[in-house]
Amino acid sequence: MIELRNVSLKYGEKEILKNVSLTVRDNTIKAILGPSGVGKSTILKLMLGLIKPNSGQVIIDGTDITNMKESSLYSIRRKMGMVFQGNALFDSLTINQNLGFFLRENMNLPEAEVNKRVAEQIQFAGLEGYEDQLPESLSGGMRRRVAIGRALIFKPHMILFDEPTAGLDPVSSKKILSLISSLRHNNNLGAVIVTHIIDDVFNVADCVAVLYQGEIIFDDVTEKLHQAQHPFIRSILSDNILEL
Amino acid sequence: MPLTFIRKQDKAIVLWLKDFILTMQEFFLFSVRAFIAIPKIKRYWRDVLDQATICGTDSIPIVLVSAISIGSLLAIEVGNLLEDFGAKTMLGRSTSLSVIRELGPLLMGLMLSARYGSRNGAELGAMQISEQIDALRAFGTDPVAKLVMPRLVASLIMFLPLTALSDFAGLHSAAYLAEHYHRLDPGIFWNAVYPRLAPKDFVVGFLKAPVFAIIITLVSSFNGFSARGGTAGVGRSTIKGIVVSSGLVLIANFYVSKIVLENM
Repeated sequence: MIELRNVSLKYGEKEILKNVSLTVRDNTIKAILGPSGVGKSTILKLMLGLIKPNSGQVIIDGTDITNMKESSLYSIRRKMGMVFQGNALFDSLTINQNLGFFLRENMNLPEAEVNKRVAEQIQFAGLEGYEDQLPESLSGGMRRRVAIGRALIFKPHMILFDEPTAGLDPVSSKKILSLISSLRHNNNLGAVIVTHIIDDVFNVADCVAVLYQGEIIFDDVTEKLHQAQHPFIRSILSDNILEL
Repeated sequence: MPLTFIRKQDKAIVLWLKDFILTMQEFFLFSVRAFIAIPKIKRYWRDVLDQATICGTDSIPIVLVSAISIGSLLAIEVGNLLEDFGAKTMLGRSTSLSVIRELGPLLMGLMLSARYGSRNGAELGAMQISEQIDALRAFGTDPVAKLVMPRLVASLIMFLPLTALSDFAGLHSAAYLAEHYHRLDPGIFWNAVYPRLAPKDFVVGFLKAPVFAIIITLVSSFNGFSARGGTAGVGRSTIKGIVVSSGLVLIANFYVSKIVLENM
C-alpha cells in the first residue's frame, strides 16, 4: 500500500503540491487525474522516493521513506515498477537487453532465469521477433509495451504509469489500456495511473483522485466522479471534454 | 529610483551566490559519491573497460596529433631563438622540459576535456533528459556507481599512459625537427634531454594526469546529470562542462607545477 500524508512540495517559489493526502491500496487501480503540468508525475516520483517533499510523509507498505537514504531506497523501489512517460528505455540496448537489464544489474539470478523472464515479457507484450531490435526502430505503442514489460519483470506489487496512453494512436492506446486491466486480473497487481485523459480513467481505474491547483479535490471510486460537485470536475464532465 | 535599482542588483547577487554555493555543495556530494562507489568496481568492470577504450584507446589519435604538433612547433621556435644566442645545443633541454612538465600534459588535458568531457556531458545529459537516469534510480541502480564511477576509474587509469605517449610523441617530433630543420645532431639533442631531466620533472608532468582525469570526468558528468530543458539543455550542459573543465585544467596545471617545483 502507498500512502501520501499531508505532502507539500515547492519548486523554488512555486507551490506544486499543497497538503496532498492519498492512499493506493494493493490490487486496485487508482488514477490521478488532472490538467497537464499540475504535478501528477511529481506524485509518482514522490512515491518512488526520487524526490523528497518539503513536508509530509510518504509511506510504502508501512515504511516511512520520506527521509530514507538513497541506498536504502533501492530495495523499496523494487517493490514498484515504473513506466515513464517517455518510456526511458536505454536507446543503445536491444529490446532483450532492455528487458533483462535490471535483472542482471540488481538481482543475483542465473542467466537461464533471466532469459526465461525476458521471454515471458516478450510474449506478454506481443513483441516476438523484435527481441534484437533497438527501441528506436519500434513504434510508440511497442516501446510503451517494452517499458511495461521492463517494469513487470521484477514481479512488483504495484506499477506506476506516467501518462500511459499519451502520444499514442487510438488503437495502441486501447491495447495499452487492456494490458493494464489484464495486469490486475491475471497478475493481481495494483497500479497508479497518472493521466490527463478522462477516458482512460473510466476505462481502467477503480478509483480516482483529481488534482487541481496542487490540491486533491476528489478522491473516491470512479463511479462517484459523476456526483462530484466541485466546479472544475462539473465543468470537465458536463462539457464532455475527454482530454484536460 | 537609483536605490531601487541597487536593491534589485543586491537581490540578484545574493540569489546568484546562493545558487553558486548550492551547486558547489551538490558537486562536492556528487564527487564524494563517485569516489565512494569505487569499491563496486568488481561489479562494473565491463563498464570500466568500455570507458577505458573510449577515453584511452580512442583518444590516442587526438593526443598524438596535439603532441606532435606542439613538439614540432617548440623545436622550430625555440631552436630559432636559441640560434640567435648560439645555444642551439640546449634545444633538447628546453623542449624536453616544456613538453614533459607543461605543454604535453596540458594539451592532452585540454584535448581530452574537449573529446571525452563533451562525450560525457552529451551522453549523460541526453540520458537525464530522456529520464533514463531516473529509470536507473527507480529500478534500484545507483546511477553514479553505474555511470560516473567507471568513467572516473577509466580516466584515472588511462590518462597516465596517454601522458607518457604524449611526452614520447612530443619529444620525438621535436628531435626529428631538430635534426631535419635545425640540422642538429640527434646525439647532441638527446644528450641534452636525458641526463638533465630530474625526477621532479616527471612528477610534475605525471601528477597532472590524475588531477586532470578527476576534473574532466567529474565536471562533465555532473553537468550531464544536471541537464534540464530538452535538447537545448543538453547543449548548454555540455558546453558548460567543457568550458568549466578546460578552465579548471588550466588552473590546476599552474598549481600542480607550482606546488611540486617549490617542494621538491
